[in-house]
Amino acid sequence: MTAACAVATLTMGLAASTALAQTPSWCGPNEASLALLDGFGGNSWRLVTTASGAEEAAKCPSITQYEYADGQGDTQKAISDINSMAARGIKAMVVFGDAGPAVLPALTNAHRAGTIVVPYRVNVGGTEGENYAKFIGSSFFEDGVSWGNWIKEILPEGGNLLFLSGPAGNSQGTDELAGMKSVLDDKYVFINPEPFAVTNWDPSLTQQVLSAEIAKNDKIDVIVSDFGPSLVGALPVFAEFGRSIPALATSDGNSLSCFWEENKEANPDFKLFTVATGNDNVRLAVQWAVALATGGTPPTDEIFKAPVYENSVSGTPNPVTCRPDLPGSIYLSAEMADDAQAKAVGQ
Amino acid sequence: MAQYQQIAGQDGSGLDLRSLKPARGFVTVVISTMALVAVCAIFAPSAISAGGLAGSLPFAAIIAIVGLGQMLVVQQGGFDLSLAGGVSLAVVITTHMSGGDDAQLLGSIAFAFGCAVVAGVVNGVLVGVLRLNAIVATIGMNALLYGAVFAVSGGVPRITTPLMSQIAAGKTLGIPNSVLFALGIMLLVSFVLKKTVIGRRFEAIGANPAAAHAAGLKVQLYQAMAYVFAQLHYCVAGILISGITREPTAFQGDSLLLPSVAVVVLAGTSLLGGRGFPISTVIAAFFLNQLSQFALAVGVPFSAQTIIQALALVFGIGVYSLRWKQAATKRALKSKTEETDNEV
Repeated sequence: MTAACAVATLTMGLAASTALAQTPSWCGPNEASLALLDGFGGNSWRLVTTASGAEEAAKCPSITQYEYADGQGDTQKAISDINSMAARGIKAMVVFGDAGPAVLPALTNAHRAGTIVVPYRVNVGGTEGENYAKFIGSSFFEDGVSWGNWIKEILPEGGNLLFLSGPAGNSQGTDELAGMKSVLDDKYVFINPEPFAVTNWDPSLTQQVLSAEIAKNDKIDVIVSDFGPSLVGALPVFAEFGRSIPALATSDGNSLSCFWEENKEANPDFKLFTVATGNDNVRLAVQWAVALATGGTPPTDEIFKAPVYENSVSGTPNPVTCRPDLPGSIYLSAEMADDAQAKAVGQ
Repeated sequence: MAQYQQIAGQDGSGLDLRSLKPARGFVTVVISTMALVAVCAIFAPSAISAGGLAGSLPFAAIIAIVGLGQMLVVQQGGFDLSLAGGVSLAVVITTHMSGGDDAQLLGSIAFAFGCAVVAGVVNGVLVGVLRLNAIVATIGMNALLYGAVFAVSGGVPRITTPLMSQIAAGKTLGIPNSVLFALGIMLLVSFVLKKTVIGRRFEAIGANPAAAHAAGLKVQLYQAMAYVFAQLHYCVAGILISGITREPTAFQGDSLLLPSVAVVVLAGTSLLGGRGFPISTVIAAFFLNQLSQFALAVGVPFSAQTIIQALALVFGIGVYSLRWKQAATKRALKSKTEETDNEV
């Protein structure tokens, strides 16, 4: 609720500040209402993402009404949110379908009732045009390829890799693994249980899993993780074993960058490579929804490709950037301004 | 008259039977733990290496502390499902109120303890005084505590202060501080339960509230206080988690409820109330944690952890039930009498 209020306030502020800016091509002349529906809105990543969606929508003056609903991790509520937005006659909705195919029937109904439905990031099943207007995916495979290429650069002779991902069987982790395997040959050995070590993206579980893996494996050359900031609490475990933190290929986060700054001297092997954590995925989805609803020109991209963000070895495209003056739970890779993010996460 | 005889009989025979009980619970858990350590040494030496233990012991300490809290409630024949909310609230208060600033750490910890006392008193009044079902009352309290967690944090994790991290994740003489905290709390709980008048009364009330009431003890007060002290334990655990995990989530308590019950049962505390076994509870926490580490070391994924904990719980209940079968049918009769008394 607090988050929703904060977002609403933020939206109004942003609408006022950006109304004068140039209208983007995806913003057409027809007036429309837009809703952003989250399956679960309760972490800093989601707060920044939600605020980014609001900021993007505010760029288009044809959007006369903007709504947000948080499913709070409850599939039933997420479905009811979709139904209620459709019943209220909202013209376009951008949906983070956390529950996956469970929300497809509700999306299909809204689509058939004439709402422009744009699910993004999480695959909800179904087909475009039949169940919803457009699905804006995220290329986790590309993330895997980026990590794989970097690993090849820093470790040309091959080595031991430890790959940590979220809950068992999550498709993000399996896609990333496929991406890595497309560039890495047999010289690179994954020492984790197939397909990845399960951490649920929970910092405390990550710490336990990592300490067990470190105890078990004398040689870990690179750790790959798709949620970098969750490693911050776990990495000091290496000191318990009197070993240097190894190279890390992951996604960005301010707390992680600051951790690298603090620990790089004491840990000679600690190299860091990050891809953008992907808050801006929502912007592409909003652009598509707005374009379809207002008669604008849709963007050319249909999949959000997270760009490479930090590389401590080459410094390109960015050196590792720590902003100790800002909260640890913000993402400097996101397009949204740093202080606006700090406001979005309530700090 | 019959009832008097039963109560007298219970006191007499209860002492005899119960003098065996701690030995059995303690022996079971110690032998299981030693067997597990031996199995680890053979099949997964990394799980008991110094580095491996240093990484996992802080989490065993957390389970031990919440287990001791849950034990107090179970001793009174109750259950505290507000554990998850209590731990999570302490985590978010310590990290959010201090905002990474060491100077504000003490204030935020004091506030966390204040909230824990309030939650415990409400639980205690609902269950101890108003006689609500413990599961219903504490599940409601859990929802309220999670409301508070969202109000404080908005669900957003925040980084702990350097001082908290140093205290909770640091070491003294090579032993993780969190383990020292757990051992200290264990000694305190053991001393109070076993060596003070208050503790003896507490256990007597748990064993037979009706008899204790007849003896003139303030049953409601003691039952209510179990919930207050349990919340204080969860609060300590939450504060320690905020230091051990550098950027804890707002839902850190969720994964602790099942282990807390499992260790209490493994330690031999009866789910119907009665004597508590603090030392066995702490050893059981080490056992349970080591079991997870062993499973990880031999390559069972961490996702199987819940199953392992559930199996440990079943094992504990199994051992406990067998003991009940061996006891005379008199005990079953007595427990029936207790239930009827409670209903009246």
